[in-house]
Amino acid sequence: MTAMKLTGYADKFSVHPGDKIKFYVNCNGPKDYTAQIVHMINGDTNPRGPGVIEPPVKADVNKTYPGRRQIIHGGSYGYVPDSKFFHTDSFTLQMWIWPTIPKTDKRYWKHGAQGLITHWSGGKGYGLFINETGALELRIDGVTISNGLKLRDHAWHFIAASYDAATGKAVLYHEPQVVYALDPVIEPVEALVTGITHPAVPLAFGGYVAEEDGAPKKTAQTEHGYWITGHYNGKIDSPRLCKGALSRLEIEMMKAGSQPAMSERRHAGPTNALADAIVGAWDFSDGINTLEARDHGPYLLNGRFVNCPTRAMTGYNWAGHNFDWKHAAGEYGAVHLHDDDLDDARWEVDFEWTVPEDIKSRFYAAKLTTSDGDEDYIPFWVVPKLGAPTAKIAVMVPTISYMAYANEHVASNAGAAEVFIYRTPIMQHQNMYLSEHREYGGSIYDTHTDGSGLCLSSRLRPILSIRPKYDHFLAQAPWQYPADLHLICWLEQMGYDYDVFTDEDATYDGLARLSPYNVIITGSHPEHNSGPQLDALHNYTQRGGRLMYMGADGWYWVHSYHPAYEDKGRGVVTEMRRCESGIRTWRANPGEYYHQGTGELGGMWRYRGRYLHTVAGTGMSSEGFDISSYFSRTPESLDPRVSWAFEGITYDEKLGNFGLVGGGAAGLELDIVDTMLGSPPHVLTVASSAGRHTESYLLVMEDYGFSQQGIDGTQHPRVRADIAFHETPNGGGCFAFSSIAFCGALPWNNCDNNISRLVGNVLNRFMADGPLPAAPAEATMPRGRADWESPAIQLAG
Amino acid sequence: MISIPKKGTPERQRLIDEYKKCMDSMKGVAGNSTLVCPTPGDVTDVTGGIHEDFLLNRVLIRMRAQPVKGKLIVICTKVEKEWRIGRLSGIRGVPPVFVADQVYDDEQMIQFDIFLMRLDEMEERDGYPEHYSEGWKRRDDNWAVT
Repeated sequence: MTAMKLTGYADKFSVHPGDKIKFYVNCNGPKDYTAQIVHMINGDTNPRGPGVIEPPVKADVNKTYPGRRQIIHGGSYGYVPDSKFFHTDSFTLQMWIWPTIPKTDKRYWKHGAQGLITHWSGGKGYGLFINETGALELRIDGVTISNGLKLRDHAWHFIAASYDAATGKAVLYHEPQVVYALDPVIEPVEALVTGITHPAVPLAFGGYVAEEDGAPKKTAQTEHGYWITGHYNGKIDSPRLCKGALSRLEIEMMKAGSQPAMSERRHAGPTNALADAIVGAWDFSDGINTLEARDHGPYLLNGRFVNCPTRAMTGYNWAGHNFDWKHAAGEYGAVHLHDDDLDDARWEVDFEWTVPEDIKSRFYAAKLTTSDGDEDYIPFWVVPKLGAPTAKIAVMVPTISYMAYANEHVASNAGAAEVFIYRTPIMQHQNMYLSEHREYGGSIYDTHTDGSGLCLSSRLRPILSIRPKYDHFLAQAPWQYPADLHLICWLEQMGYDYDVFTDEDATYDGLARLSPYNVIITGSHPEHNSGPQLDALHNYTQRGGRLMYMGADGWYWVHSYHPAYEDKGRGVVTEMRRCESGIRTWRANPGEYYHQGTGELGGMWRYRGRYLHTVAGTGMSSEGFDISSYFSRTPESLDPRVSWAFEGITYDEKLGNFGLVGGGAAGLELDIVDTMLGSPPHVLTVASSAGRHTESYLLVMEDYGFSQQGIDGTQHPRVRADIAFHETPNGGGCFAFSSIAFCGALPWNNCDNNISRLVGNVLNRFMADGPLPAAPAEATMPRGRADWESPAIQLAG
Repeated sequence: MISIPKKGTPERQRLIDEYKKCMDSMKGVAGNSTLVCPTPGDVTDVTGGIHEDFLLNRVLIRMRAQPVKGKLIVICTKVEKEWRIGRLSGIRGVPPVFVADQVYDDEQMIQFDIFLMRLDEMEERDGYPEHYSEGWKRRDDNWAVT
């Protein structure tokens, strides 16, 4: 039942009218499939809602296409094209390794030997491996040499091997850098080998050539013509290849690698004598923000990494004094390879659509179906060309957040998922498929198959979580993409005209993308953001723009698009590191907080001095995933500055005690006003859900410093959502609705409800031309606690 | 730690009755909690369940915190129509397997059956020193984390 016979992706998230978009489809089994472009309006199958709404769009690609199977070759590795210098009779290999799963379960998806540095194919050549028992192994043609000792995981080992063709003597060195009291002394292992047959294949780091015959195959999926298998999980640092069999002392000296750059030292090696031996001395601390595997040896045998391994990783020599690779690159020579890394599925194109010039800017998808009932959707967004807006309203689609959650495995990987959702997770067929097909890559919420944190996510792959008809285990309801369709459904039903643009567009175009609109509406959970995007939002609201923040837990994590993928389009790979605070499903290791792509400090924007509350007025305070609640108005909602938002709504009404996410408008993740964390001092808190949340709702950990009781929804006053309004300069304003579940209430009862009325009042006011009325002078307040004296203090006085 | 009530005890039956009451009342909600909706399918007000039965609250947390290997899971086999109980492998790349043939037509009541299965599977003093294994030193100590 885990089979999904149809999966696919497009080369773009965001496409302009008149531009082309390519679609890649895997149709595994059925002889053909039909594509239909649809306008996505609602993707929620809940029978209490309007149901799926996806009107067809006339398009010349609406056809039946022959089906073909397309598979993904996941797993990162490095390679150097074959060179005559690799065909050496005698050799010495050396490197540091930090393996993460040297021994795997027999049922593990890639159980078997792992290549470390290999010039090897079909039983010919040489290389260092970890064999399937978890021991280090030297292979020279059909001969394997090992001490049989299991490698320690998550620990640095220096390893080396030499082979002297004249004597036939091969030596394998295995030197753990951590030695515990009871560890045996590990002596080098020696063996006699008759010789090497050199295959004409690339040199590989973290894998080996799969082709038994050593012959290249032409395919879109390999830039060098070979499949690589035997993917290694763990870090590698400073690999060296020398011709000739070096002594242990010479190997020790060769750790220094190539040492050029001084006029007094004109040789390539640590000594003049050893300079002649160097074939390659790769230095992965050079080019951390690239996909290059640079060689500092004399022949410049530069290679490339495929499937984007994690770089900016602490090396064997990291000492805990430097934390930013940009200032201590020499301690960041390690690359962490994973067998489930994926940067691009690299499929063949199945069809390409030239988007009509006169099409509306909306959510769209290529709906794929077969006559057997198989189905998949490939969502995309038609975005106006820059400077050519077609509406006063724009929806900013949180595509970085979609990428952060892309293909997440938390329900099946993390036992603790139940503890925070307070029920047993429900896996949809997409989750079942992904649980078997790890090659589709995970999300930034996941750990890799080796247990390390996953900090890079690509959009060039089928992303089965960005789909209609998909309930997420966290909510037992739509989440992210399908949840944002609740908002789209409401806009459509209410007859608003609007444009859409994505996080990519905001990041690359800045204020120019935002400024044409009177109002910008966010998605339900814009949690993951780039710096340029936050700059654009601030610039927009400061200059009179109006922002409707339709959800919660926004503006939380630092993201950056990896610059090495600019040639494949905008925003192909996004990066994020989970540092020392915030809600984290994994935690980055010490010294690994800086992005490999841009070099910026990762983690929460809060710890970069950009408090989330500054963007739209409220910021994340708590989360819980069982059921939602509702809002009540506060006296501040009667203030003439904001009372217009409540026209048609009585003061005592329960606001949003209904909805398609958790059964209420206040739920999942909740934001509050806090002027000490960046909410502006003149902000008006107009409604709150205080006191009504369940025990599953817990305060965010960044708001307290000591593990303590009393942080749940039945006890803690900061477990609440606050709906808030404030004016921004030049006639701008922000309305924050502060709950991820909020948009789920909009379509309720055919959009005839008090949440719909509230949002409609705000949107009508915000979309109008001209500045909003300025706040009266008496609304001005100094910042912070100076504005407030606790009644408790007054009583004490 | 709180003990899991033994089979046949009034405490155990009380937990079962309260849990079922909660799940019955949650039918129709796009979400789920072990709480009672006085108006079925409407979470405007919730009561009972984990908020009022301390033993039920603590037993459920202990059940939910079990490690991933062999843990029960719900698998939706037809969107909005059918659900079945599965068990996680705990091994990356090995999907869950179905553990029973029963097909549920409701996404809430399947939670109740999982609760019953766990009551039978977990020992009264699950996780006490008599269950010590070397795994406790290797993060296999019956407490799942993300």
